Amino acid sequence: MILKSSSSRIVISVIKHIVLIGMLGFLFYVFFGAYENLEALYNTFGKDYFSRYAEAETGSKNLVTSILLDYRLFDSLFEAGILLIAVSGVIWISRHEIEEKNAQFMIDKFKTPDLFVTFSRLVYPLMLAFGFYVIINGHLSPGGGFQGGAIVATAILILYYIDAEKDTNINLIVTVEKYIYIAILLLATASYFTRGAFFTNVFPLESSADAKSIYLVVLNVLIGFKVALGLWAIFTAFLKEGR
Amino acid sequence: MDPLLTFIVILIGFYGLATSTNIIKSVFCVTIIESGVILLFLNMGNLDGGRIPVDIIPDTLIADPLPQALMITTIVIGSTVTSLSLMLCIKVFHHFGSVEWVDVLGMERGR
Amino acid sequence: MAFFSVLLIIIPVFTALVIYLYKHSAVKYLTFIAQLAMTILAVLYYREFSDQWASTLIVFGDWDLRIGISLINDEISMSFIFLTLFSFWMVLIYTFDTRQSNRTFLFFLMFLQGVFLGLLQTYDLFNMFVFLELTTILVTILIAFKKSGDSFRAAVYYILLNASGVLVFLIGVIIMYNVFGTINVGVIGEAIDSVGEATSVRFAYVLMMAGIAVKSALFPVFSWLPKAHGVAQSAISALLSGLIVKGGLYMFIRINQMFSGANLESGEFFFYVGAATAVVGVLFAVSQKDIKQILAYHTVSQIGIVMMGLSSPDFDTFYGGLLHIFNHALFKSLLFLGAGVIIKAYRTKYVSDMRGVFKTMPAVSIFMIVGMLSITGAPLFNGFISKTIIKYSIEDSTLKSWILFGVNIGTATSFIKMSQIFFGPRRMTLRLYAPFDRIALMGFAFACVILGNFYIPISDGFFGVELSYISVFNFDAFFDYFVALAIGFLIYYFIIKKDYRPIRMIREYKPSFQSANFVFIMFVVVMSVYFVLIP
Repeated sequence: MILKSSSSRIVISVIKHIVLIGMLGFLFYVFFGAYENLEALYNTFGKDYFSRYAEAETGSKNLVTSILLDYRLFDSLFEAGILLIAVSGVIWISRHEIEEKNAQFMIDKFKTPDLFVTFSRLVYPLMLAFGFYVIINGHLSPGGGFQGGAIVATAILILYYIDAEKDTNINLIVTVEKYIYIAILLLATASYFTRGAFFTNVFPLESSADAKSIYLVVLNVLIGFKVALGLWAIFTAFLKEGR
Repeated sequence: MDPLLTFIVILIGFYGLATSTNIIKSVFCVTIIESGVILLFLNMGNLDGGRIPVDIIPDTLIADPLPQALMITTIVIGSTVTSLSLMLCIKVFHHFGSVEWVDVLGMERGR
Repeated sequence: MAFFSVLLIIIPVFTALVIYLYKHSAVKYLTFIAQLAMTILAVLYYREFSDQWASTLIVFGDWDLRIGISLINDEISMSFIFLTLFSFWMVLIYTFDTRQSNRTFLFFLMFLQGVFLGLLQTYDLFNMFVFLELTTILVTILIAFKKSGDSFRAAVYYILLNASGVLVFLIGVIIMYNVFGTINVGVIGEAIDSVGEATSVRFAYVLMMAGIAVKSALFPVFSWLPKAHGVAQSAISALLSGLIVKGGLYMFIRINQMFSGANLESGEFFFYVGAATAVVGVLFAVSQKDIKQILAYHTVSQIGIVMMGLSSPDFDTFYGGLLHIFNHALFKSLLFLGAGVIIKAYRTKYVSDMRGVFKTMPAVSIFMIVGMLSITGAPLFNGFISKTIIKYSIEDSTLKSWILFGVNIGTATSFIKMSQIFFGPRRMTLRLYAPFDRIALMGFAFACVILGNFYIPISDGFFGVELSYISVFNFDAFFDYFVALAIGFLIYYFIIKKDYRPIRMIREYKPSFQSANFVFIMFVVVMSVYFVLIP
């Protein structure tokens, strides 16, 4: 290879950046054209359908929940599945079996400030309660299983600030998470036996909104627990890697 | 106008992917693209400006709930991609002693 | 009966979970039971619906087609389903009695099968995205499964490039939703001819195709494939190269079908993208020394040949590309699995260190030779059929014919190089008595030979396509094959074997991650110029 002088390398890198910015600018120009075109073509079929029928058909006041847990439940199942896979994958990858060359383990040098610990103790129960509120009221107000589960997981993570030496049984978390996922799968397929259609509400279409909301609450709680446990497991795997 | 601004966020992510020399920076660039896509979806679902799609009053304009539902899925997917690639970064660091692309891709085992 | 399509997705996922939770060594027999059940279901499903594909439509929750998620099957997806089941059968048998077949491995493998079957059947754009992303994550974990430095490096390269590619696909989805008010593939396909000229629809096509190009390793953005497929365990490499990368090509077929009303005239563009993929893949392949890298670069070049067929609007050419997907899946899996057996016995990955394989392992060698004859397109083997269909249909254009002939010569060269492993004296190797990998190899080899000889009834029965114009016992076919082989031998003997500097430079060229993204952006720009700006 010919050794390039540093100045010519700088010139090449500058040219590369200019070409890159030019290309990105061109893409913006094309998108601008597409966007102007889009305002003329804007089709509101989906929006109109949901605003007219969704509440009556699914019994959920929150239309986002009605889509997540009824119209597009199949997506949500695999969305929970993707988290399950990532949890198992992260844990599998993080497990030490072969010797690693540059393995260095960091030690917690920085002690958490006392003010932060005290404040965490104060906030922890509130966050937990708020998480459960968001999960259970997912069909009435903004929120749902996924969002509430993330809040619950954050609350659990705050525990690590309070007690840095806390030890977690990661296998138990993962096992419980898998059982909850099986329960979600079974609940989602149950509608085939009551309604003759896969992946929808267990209760028939003409039943009351109260009956339908039982199903929504149960599914939201299951998904919420599954997401919370999954995120907790991922975080624990990272924490063990750091120790 | 908002969708155009969010598209710029996506382009910034791509600029970062094409220039950053560090694996962790590349992971964050993918996260930036993902955030841009999420914002783009939310803006595109509300082009004519409506209320939130919760507890709706008949005959009022609402934001489209479908893109919002889809984006919850995308956020979960994005978080899994980020966590998996960060764990791989840690492992790459343990094996190669560096998270610079040059050091990692340049090293070849054996011959 | 229509709900069998749902069972095909649910059964492997459920089996995977049970394998993970039930800690007993007998649990691996459960995979075979599940696999058998799925095969029976698929056969029954095919017998029921083989002449009325429209009634396989199943909308979840019985909602309006434009609102709910739906699954649908046709000849193409059904043939992909059979290919998936066959490949997973063979890989499960191959890994049966090795240490690899522990519970975690089977868990990821069975989940991947369920997800891939979902990807094949879905009729919804966002659901496609979810399955694509799930396959990306599962494949990343499987690449990193060996837990060596190389595999972690390849996995992080793979996940970052593919995740950004799939996100670009997602931008296309929101544009389609805003234009059509739905993301159902069929409904969009019917409504598209009214707005096919619109800039936004064309830009959405560009973005979706860019995402798919990354997933299926087309010309400028293929650099992840050799890294990933070269370092994974052999069984996983076989699965990825044979089957999973075809998921991207399957999406290409589906999205092109959806946009067929829009008159985008993408045929010529993607033909040359495919041609470039094939040529570049072959160039890299002939320069490699690592047996798995050779095979991985040949996957790139064969994907290029598939694209040369699939891009065509003419049905015969398209059918040639489609058939080549199946043929490639069979012989490339065979070659990867055979290479895995040889690597295990010789404890080296380098072709130059392997000698005397034929005397040491005669059975494996015969299966490998079947695979090599198939990939080089020898008459009587399956690669010949699909390559000939593509060759006949591009005969009018001299340039296109020469490109295909050049790719054939390159393929012949690198497999002549690889066939050197068979010669030489017997080598004392580790005696590994592993009957199960021989069974898997035999399954793939038989499939290659059967498809190469009984292609007329198979093709007529499955797709209803008459192939009798392709004749195996044809002087021209043998003549062409031996000419390619002879030129390949000369190139090998006088150029490749000497290991000149340009060849070394090609071998040592390693595209960095930044430049991979740079060419990806460039690809999107070129596609937007071609599809959006020029019309």
